[in-house]
Amino acid sequence: MKILVAEDDQLMVKMLEFRLKKDGHEVVITQDGRAAVAKLSEFKPDLVITDIMMPYLSGLEVVSAVKKKYPTGTPVIILSGMGQENVVLEAFQLGADDFMTKPFSPNELSVRVHRFDLTLAK
Amino acid sequence: MLTLKTHLYTSFIIYWDIQTIALAGIVILMVCLLSFMLLYMLVKASHEKKHTHWRLISDSLIHKAVFDDDDRIDEEFIQMTLGTINLKKNKYFRKLLTGEIISAKKNITGAAAENLIYLYRLLNLDKYAIKNLNNLRWYVRARAIHELTTMQISGLVDHLHLFTNDSNEYVRMEAQSALVQFNGFEGLSFLDTVAYPISDWQQIKLLQLLSLLPPSTFDTAPWFQSENSTVVVFALKLARNYNRFEQHDAIAKCLDHSEPKVRLEAILCLNEIYTDETSDHLIGRFLKESLKHQLAMIRVMQTLGTERDILFLTDLLNHESDQLKLDAARALVNASKNGMASLEAYSKQSEQDITEIVMHIKREMSV
Amino acid sequence: MSWQTFLLHAFTYGILVYSMILLTFYLLIGSFSILETRSYLHKNSFTDYRMLASSSEAPTMTILAPAYNEGPTIIENVRSLLSLHYNNLDVIIINDGSKDDTLEQLIKAYDLYKADFYVTQLIKTKTVKGIYRSHNPVYRKLTVIDKENGGKADALNVGINIARSDYFVCIDVDCVLEQDAILKLAKPFMETSTHRVIAAGGVVRVANSCEIEGGRLVKVHLPKKFLPRIQTLEYIRAFLLSRMAWTRLNGLLLISGAFGAFDREIVIACGGYHTDTVGEDMELVVRMRRYMEEREEPYKVGFIPDPLCWTEAPSSYRILGRQRNRWTRGTIETLRSHKKMFFNPNYGILGMLSYPYWFFFEFLAPIIEFLGTLGIIIYFFTYAINWSAVVIMIIVICIGILYSIFAILMEVLTYNQYKQRKDILKLVLVAILEPFIFHPFVVWSAVLGNISLLRKQNSWGEMTRQGFATDKKSR
Repeated sequence: MKILVAEDDQLMVKMLEFRLKKDGHEVVITQDGRAAVAKLSEFKPDLVITDIMMPYLSGLEVVSAVKKKYPTGTPVIILSGMGQENVVLEAFQLGADDFMTKPFSPNELSVRVHRFDLTLAK
Repeated sequence: MLTLKTHLYTSFIIYWDIQTIALAGIVILMVCLLSFMLLYMLVKASHEKKHTHWRLISDSLIHKAVFDDDDRIDEEFIQMTLGTINLKKNKYFRKLLTGEIISAKKNITGAAAENLIYLYRLLNLDKYAIKNLNNLRWYVRARAIHELTTMQISGLVDHLHLFTNDSNEYVRMEAQSALVQFNGFEGLSFLDTVAYPISDWQQIKLLQLLSLLPPSTFDTAPWFQSENSTVVVFALKLARNYNRFEQHDAIAKCLDHSEPKVRLEAILCLNEIYTDETSDHLIGRFLKESLKHQLAMIRVMQTLGTERDILFLTDLLNHESDQLKLDAARALVNASKNGMASLEAYSKQSEQDITEIVMHIKREMSV
Repeated sequence: MSWQTFLLHAFTYGILVYSMILLTFYLLIGSFSILETRSYLHKNSFTDYRMLASSSEAPTMTILAPAYNEGPTIIENVRSLLSLHYNNLDVIIINDGSKDDTLEQLIKAYDLYKADFYVTQLIKTKTVKGIYRSHNPVYRKLTVIDKENGGKADALNVGINIARSDYFVCIDVDCVLEQDAILKLAKPFMETSTHRVIAAGGVVRVANSCEIEGGRLVKVHLPKKFLPRIQTLEYIRAFLLSRMAWTRLNGLLLISGAFGAFDREIVIACGGYHTDTVGEDMELVVRMRRYMEEREEPYKVGFIPDPLCWTEAPSSYRILGRQRNRWTRGTIETLRSHKKMFFNPNYGILGMLSYPYWFFFEFLAPIIEFLGTLGIIIYFFTYAINWSAVVIMIIVICIGILYSIFAILMEVLTYNQYKQRKDILKLVLVAILEPFIFHPFVVWSAVLGNISLLRKQNSWGEMTRQGFATDKKSR
């Protein structure tokens, strides 16, 4: 699966990249929201994983950009800090498909990504 | 003219002595500062190389622990990676490695996090932290508590309890957070005894830590009686976040507390925990409060106001504060099913022009 | 003793005493700054700002950014404001009667509509023409106000009226903020429960020659041009030493208008920004402190030394001169309207130390320096070189250089924004050159400020339109 990751924390990026590549996905990493949106047309991801608080464009704007471009396909998983329920709710209103709260377990991420992989295969 | 010149000459000599000393002193100081700065920069630059090397080593240790969860990290791998670095002697490397492990631990949970803790203990880093608990410098103590808590080294909980009333604010805060992380809601027992104020910052932090735990029963009632007003404020926040409806009367009583901050928190708390008597409590207290608290009260009335409060709220549409008028109108709209219609009706028959307020509220409702 | 010699002695001794007091103050400021910076850095190492970023319990904050003819950059600047890390944050842009397309650009880029809005007049202001909100829920934090031109103070007052938050942060819209700027600035308000924190100031740094992309600072460089470079040193000295030290004493009088946070309730109680002064930022802080002193409520003014706000410094003498002229007038106007506090023990540190310091060393210093230099020159032409005065002058200059070098050292030891050794040496060189090249110009601008104020030539008054950021624009 082609996964686009938008996350500005270096350690998180490393962890996400390592884990997703190990699971056999093709991964493109962007460090901020603007770069993520710019990469959309070129990379045509099957899944987008985005942080909420990022430079230039927030995760919410990434969600709305993805949903505008691919109204039916390309699910988005939101990574949020703890206690950000209201932002997560907003993200869902904009069309986000799933969320994970930081800190999280890499194994859990793996499983959640896999779930979207299955739905795509159908 | 001549006398003036000789005088000038003598005075020149007198000044010269004091002045030379002053000037020389300043120049010497300047040279000292400059050479210190140069030396510092040179030493730092030479350390930079070593640091890059160290960082690579600590990165590879952490990578192994975090990413490779099928294969547990072992002594052999550690020895191989560390190479010639002596962890016991090299304080700087130890500090760097500890720092990186801690920040990695904060980002992950699950098996990878367990591996990091395993690595931390295997390297005996906890021993150094425990030793630092008795250091004379507060920030060393506080950091040690923070480290042990993040790495989940329990077994020191009783010892940490003593620190929750430490005279240093940061040691205290770390110890309080530690108790909550180790013991969950039971850890809040330090609230019974804490004599120092708990800052807003610390309250936010504690609530955040608690939000990660599964909700549990705890008794807020004794904290409402605390002499420490910040404990009362915190208890109110707890009651609000964990929907303690049975505490309603105790919370309403806090509306009469002598400390304004407690009263404000009680008002905000009633926004979540209310019965059909709550608005009476608020209205009873209304005139005794400052404008800031009155505004908070009316905002709460937006949630819990009913048809019984319409008269009170309508009166406020003549209040001198524009902010209060707007909030009262909003509360009025929410107080009954046809609130908007009655507000518009009032707007027509009233001498006061509140059309702008009506428009404002209509726009808000349409979004 | 002839009157000439008497005058000569009085003159030289006077200057000597003055410079010794100045040296004492420098030493005190240096040591207090070390203490405060150390304790700040230690405390900061325990702070997890991420926790605050996502908390919904954090106090509500509103950014107030007045804009006047900002068309070319407004979209990017607003975008970077909207991506700042802080959960409970609103952004209010106040279009102060721009003559360009600032408003139209905002409407287009952010899908704005003119909203029915009840504008509360807590502080009296010029007429508000319209309030704009976005159709797009992503921009729900954004409000744009369109108002009649009235200057920066008036624009901020409108923002204060419309904000509903506990605190507001006023910024210059062309400033570049770090992502965690609001988090750090909000913290002082939550730290203490014994005092009320009424305001918190932040550091402003010089952005010339820095790499900026999409409203964000990418890489820090030392300014290439001489004027901005010397201002870099000036800013380090003012923020890292002076304001830090005054914070230690709880005697800080000035929070930069480019970046500071205020308790909204107290600001409203004090009547907001005064529109009839050119130094509205300093005047407000002094008035708020005075208000708290008079009500005998324990309070604090906080200060955050982290480099959070970057701004373009003037790079031409003409614009710089105008800025300093204005700063001087602002200082004098503020000191004049609060002269009641001068050595008044009822006002504590504020009356006994802060105010007198500003009077003697901010307001009087340039005048004394100017007259001193003038005196030496006149004496030279009438009699001969007055050696003792010349030596004292050299001492004063050396004290100044020493202080600058100490400031550079503090920068190296703390934030170390200029990583290359070459850059630090360039700063030292600038510190040595400053008293001869730059400082005389600053003194002269200050003297001109005094003169124009004496002549009641309030240059704002002559202008029909007020543009507040024009003297900072140098690009």
